[in-house]
Amino acid sequence: MEYKLRKAEPRDVSDILRLVKELAKYEEMEDQVTLTEKELLEDGFGDTPFYHCIIAELQGKNSSDDGKVVGFVMYYFTYDPWVGKQLYLEEFYVMDEYRGMGIGSGLLRHLSDLAMNTRCTGMMFVVAENNEPSIQFYKLRGAEDLSQEEGWRLFRFSKNSLVKMGTPVEE
Amino acid sequence: MDFSIRAANVEDCKDIARMILELAEYEKVADHVKVTQRDLEQDGFSKNPFFHGIVAEVPEQHKAKEGHTKIGYALYFYSYSSWSGRAVYMEDLYVMPEFRGKGIGKALMSKVAQLGLAAGCNQLNFTVLDWNKPSLDFYLSQGSFDVTADMGYHCMRCEGEALEHLAQP
Repeated sequence: MEYKLRKAEPRDVSDILRLVKELAKYEEMEDQVTLTEKELLEDGFGDTPFYHCIIAELQGKNSSDDGKVVGFVMYYFTYDPWVGKQLYLEEFYVMDEYRGMGIGSGLLRHLSDLAMNTRCTGMMFVVAENNEPSIQFYKLRGAEDLSQEEGWRLFRFSKNSLVKMGTPVEE
Repeated sequence: MDFSIRAANVEDCKDIARMILELAEYEKVADHVKVTQRDLEQDGFSKNPFFHGIVAEVPEQHKAKEGHTKIGYALYFYSYSSWSGRAVYMEDLYVMPEFRGKGIGKALMSKVAQLGLAAGCNQLNFTVLDWNKPSLDFYLSQGSFDVTADMGYHCMRCEGEALEHLAQP
């Protein structure tokens, strides 16, 4: 089955949200997805996008699957003050029934190429430690586990604690 | 102690570069730092900056032993969570040793939180080294949680030859 990769357009936001929810379900975190199509539209296609997406779309000549969105990557640019620009891979997913066809590898290759063309020195992402297939997939391709090898821990302030922390203290 | 927090400007890059190196030395990896003052100027203060900075300053009479008045900084940028939307990432937070314990680090972090909230962010993310107990304790006491410990998320990177290899057809 043929597929093509292209930059996401505003019309893709419902497919993007569908795939985000499918991946969250796979990670048993479906109820954590609070993002809406409206937010995806504003945040990805406004004056200053917070994220970018590459879509994998099927190309079957007379097939009912033609034009179906079956995979995507969501990414943005970050900065490491030691080595400069990085590309951050936020989300990477191919629908279960379309795996094993090279779509995942194709998306990753496209993104790595983009990282190099935009002078990023690295591509960063997180993986859940119990997600063995994914960890193997990435390690096979030369990714380093910075948490394991260098002791980096990801920390987060969620909305409530962020608001508390951001409230100026009365002098 | 009297101190002020303000947005960094291009003239601050010399001090920011100095303090980036000091932070790297504290983290025992000073030889990893390749970014120069010039890189910071181009990457942070051009039309499409890749990061933003805030600087903590003290008045002349309280300047550091070596004469610096810019004695702390934070670097941050906007990111995105596919689950909850807009987020802010604090890449660096540093206060020079002789100015610690005075609430400056907390004030810098609070400022990043305020800026993030103003931009519509729902979370603030950052990383800490597992042996850095003072920092781990500080961040936990401020209400953050350890995503790596709680959710098992590992930070991964693909760079150098591995990245080039991935990019090949």
